[in-house]
Amino acid sequence: MMKKSANTGKWPAAVFLAVLTALWELSVRSGWVDAYTLPAPSSVIRVLFSELPGLRSHIWITLQEAGIGFLAAIGFSIALALLMDFVPMVKKGLYPILVLSQTVPIIVLAPLFGMWFGFGMLPKIVIVMLVCFFPIIVSLLDGLEAADPDELHLIEGMGAGQLQQFRWVKFPGALVNLFSGIRIAATYSIMGAVIGEWLGGTGGLGVYMLRVRHSFALDKMFAAILIVVVLSIAVFKGIDLIQRMLMPWAVSKEK
Amino acid sequence: MKKMKMKMKMKKLSIAALFLILTATLALAGCQPKDAVEAGDGAQGPSAELEKVTVVLDWVPNTNHTGLYVAQDLGFYEEAGLDVEIIQPAEGGSASLIAAGQGEFGISYQEEITYARTAAEPLPVKAIAAIIQHNTSGFASPVEKGIVTPKDFEGKKYGGWGSPAEVAMLSGLMAKEGADFDKLEMVDLGALDFFAATKSHVDFTWIYYGWDGIAAEVNNVPINFILLQDFEENLDFYTPVIIAKEELLSARPELAKKFLAATTKGYEYAMENPEEAVKSLLKAAPEVDEAIAVASQNYLADQYQAEAPQWGVMDLEIWTNYAGWMFENGLIESELEAEEAFTNDFLPKK
Repeated sequence: MMKKSANTGKWPAAVFLAVLTALWELSVRSGWVDAYTLPAPSSVIRVLFSELPGLRSHIWITLQEAGIGFLAAIGFSIALALLMDFVPMVKKGLYPILVLSQTVPIIVLAPLFGMWFGFGMLPKIVIVMLVCFFPIIVSLLDGLEAADPDELHLIEGMGAGQLQQFRWVKFPGALVNLFSGIRIAATYSIMGAVIGEWLGGTGGLGVYMLRVRHSFALDKMFAAILIVVVLSIAVFKGIDLIQRMLMPWAVSKEK
Repeated sequence: MKKMKMKMKMKKLSIAALFLILTATLALAGCQPKDAVEAGDGAQGPSAELEKVTVVLDWVPNTNHTGLYVAQDLGFYEEAGLDVEIIQPAEGGSASLIAAGQGEFGISYQEEITYARTAAEPLPVKAIAAIIQHNTSGFASPVEKGIVTPKDFEGKKYGGWGSPAEVAMLSGLMAKEGADFDKLEMVDLGALDFFAATKSHVDFTWIYYGWDGIAAEVNNVPINFILLQDFEENLDFYTPVIIAKEELLSARPELAKKFLAATTKGYEYAMENPEEAVKSLLKAAPEVDEAIAVASQNYLADQYQAEAPQWGVMDLEIWTNYAGWMFENGLIESELEAEEAFTNDFLPKK
């Protein structure tokens, strides 16, 4: 049987990306697109390296905000999911409110955050939490709901209470779901921190982007965007790695 | 059987790991935000005797703010016993933020203060210094468009941010020149800058000459610039201005005086040594374009104080005239009590 392994799947994406980048570079070089409207990839890369020393402190600030907010979102989601699973009334009451929280446009709330929370790390962490917690908690709740009823009956028969059912059957069974939620949230965490920085502050990639845009340096802005992309992918892959280490059986199941 | 044992072991491990993350998170979340929310993410230590002050800008750091950065960099604030942190907020002026107590002093505009004080729920903020004596903003367009006076707005497209003030200004100016306002198309540009906007979307926009105008000079893009006050005297208003909450001014007047004295020194230094002063700005915000900043600083050196007896003083007439114009044009619903909107009391006595 011919086995088309997952590895050959990477080439089409790489080729496509390369072609796209080449087209982009050509359209700016030829003058079809103005450099101050859309900078060429070559100048973005060049400027990325020249700006890197100055960018380091900004990157570190953004990473801190994203990291803390992301971890806080995980902790908060797990705790809340626990509560909602134990007490069905809470689930019924809270679930629609959780959905509501995602429908409020953050960009509109943004100026208010400055008034309420000031300009330290707190408002950025709050925004990262807002953006990250929803996919985590929804996936986790789904996973908890899908607990194997046979396993549950089994340990219930052995005399397991609600907490024990949660610890031995429900939560372990929901781990795969939890990780898929965490993966989604991770890719948004960096972006969330950047949005938070647009509200104001003293440093971070978002602050950097606003300043270089005001100085008409779009190539620097794109360099910052590129960093956000790279960081988000790195976080995504990192979560993947952690999942492989913690749950190798889940990975083999996918294959 | 072995597989089952492995599965159970890994499950235990992953649960343990996750609960570890949970506790670590709660611990972190517990201690991190508190530090950050206290005024300033900066150093503690030797600044323990200095009074902590937060200044909220109106937008990204630029040459309108140079005096502040000079005072910070050259130690004028420290000499006055102040530890000043300068914050960049979202676009639009700091009136709400200062009113909410998110900073002791802010950068705003005469227009914003006029709106803020005549709103249904007025904000208790006041202007305490004018950074630039005369309005240096106006309508700019590439020379090819041939827009030299407001009469030429007819048949053109204006790109702005959709505020009633723009409508009032444009219709007012055009009416004065006998032009038909209905023949002007107005478009919302969001955050698009002057060059990109006038290249392919609109014919002219409203700019600060000190930044976009200078950028045009630096980049050899010839433009036509219409100064607002050349066509309507009431539009020679103060922008930007330094503001503070009324509560702060009555509770801590010495702080305001110290702050403005040091800030005055900063702007005076910038007036005498523009090329040195701009370095303080660039040190704090290296993302700012150096070429534009230096040229802009040289331009503003004569604009900060202009012909006024000292930097920062404001004239009641300027406040009354503009507020009157705004009221006549239906931009504000109640009249401004101009004497209450600003004060020169905290500027150093010269």
